[in-house]
Amino acid sequence: MSGDKTIGQIIADGLWSENPVFYQILGICSALAVTNLVLNTLVMSAALILTTALSGFTVSLLRNVTPRRVRMMVQTLIIAFYVILFDRVLAAYWPDMSRSLGPYVGLIITNCIIMGRAEAFAGSNPPFASLLDGFFSGVGYAFVLLSVSVVRELLGMGTILGFPVSFFSSAAWDRWVIMVMPPGAFFTLAVIVWMFRSIKKKGEDRQAGGKK
Amino acid sequence: MSIKDKTWFPILFMFLASVFFIAILVVFGAFTQPRVQANERIAFERATLQALPVELPEKANPAELHEIFTEKISDTVIAKDTIYLYKEAGEFVAYALPVNGPGFWAPIEGVIGIAPDRRTVTGISFYEQEETPGLGGEIVNTPFRSQFEGKRLAEQGIPMEIRSVDKELDESSVHAVTGATQTSTRVAKFLNQHLARWRDSIWESEDVRR
Repeated sequence: MSGDKTIGQIIADGLWSENPVFYQILGICSALAVTNLVLNTLVMSAALILTTALSGFTVSLLRNVTPRRVRMMVQTLIIAFYVILFDRVLAAYWPDMSRSLGPYVGLIITNCIIMGRAEAFAGSNPPFASLLDGFFSGVGYAFVLLSVSVVRELLGMGTILGFPVSFFSSAAWDRWVIMVMPPGAFFTLAVIVWMFRSIKKKGEDRQAGGKK
Repeated sequence: MSIKDKTWFPILFMFLASVFFIAILVVFGAFTQPRVQANERIAFERATLQALPVELPEKANPAELHEIFTEKISDTVIAKDTIYLYKEAGEFVAYALPVNGPGFWAPIEGVIGIAPDRRTVTGISFYEQEETPGLGGEIVNTPFRSQFEGKRLAEQGIPMEIRSVDKELDESSVHAVTGATQTSTRVAKFLNQHLARWRDSIWESEDVRR
């Protein structure tokens, strides 16, 4: 990975060409666990975007003084620091959100995207670029997860964000409860990764074809 | 040889980094402690009021809830258990019994309301849980909770059974949450421990009515 990507490249990589979920296949456990309702996904995504961006920034600030042998311990410490801080801020100032986020706090610390970005990018790039990289990797994660959760909640509950959607919440639609249960996550994620990868491949083939 | 090449430098660095980040968390934690505790207290008070047949304003803010709670709810200790009594203008209306125990992921805390006949359930509410959202987490939502209203605790055996959705119900049972067998089993276990204790040691005791 080159040490001097442009801002545009960082954004494009995080969102699409090196998307953490469907290209790097990272953060899959949380992509399966928190996508049964759109609201859960939004909360998880917001927390992940903030943590990835800020921990990338901090890891990058310390990158020249951190001894190589303990760098992963330092990264874990920084990630845990932000997650605990974030959790505490919510518990004090936004208790309702804190209650619905409760189960995810542990999941954020162990999310491999944060560690992956810290190790692959923030460790060898300046702080501001790392902040952007973390932010857009987080957004890339968020949009794939939102696609999965919209499908799952719609087919499984007939709602989006808890609001009924006309056809899917009517008696004509037999709710697929399995979609909000764990197996539904596997089906949907697989189909969505397949779709995005096919679209991406088509784009790349066209580019390669144009160059010939 | 600079300090960075010494063999002990990584240890020192890790130690200093830990002290630095943890210090920030400790200071911030101490600073927000009163707010966090107040929020937890409000969550408990709200759950208690929800389990009881109290009329709550449509969207009560924490201050209003606290005011209603202080005005109408008093606590008493019976056989080492704290029980809450709900009085409306001096007239006794219902009991509120705190229930808690292990859930699937983390401890669950809740409150169950019981009418003066000591058998009819007025409602149930959970204010602390980390069950899987959308599955076990559904115990906090109305479809599961409202089943309890008006049910009667069984005089013998399990006071309030939680049965799978394909089974018939009677006046002392409710349906479990589909897809959340673990949560349902655990809620049934601790809920019935508390209810059995209520039935066996408090049910007949006269000190309850004060």
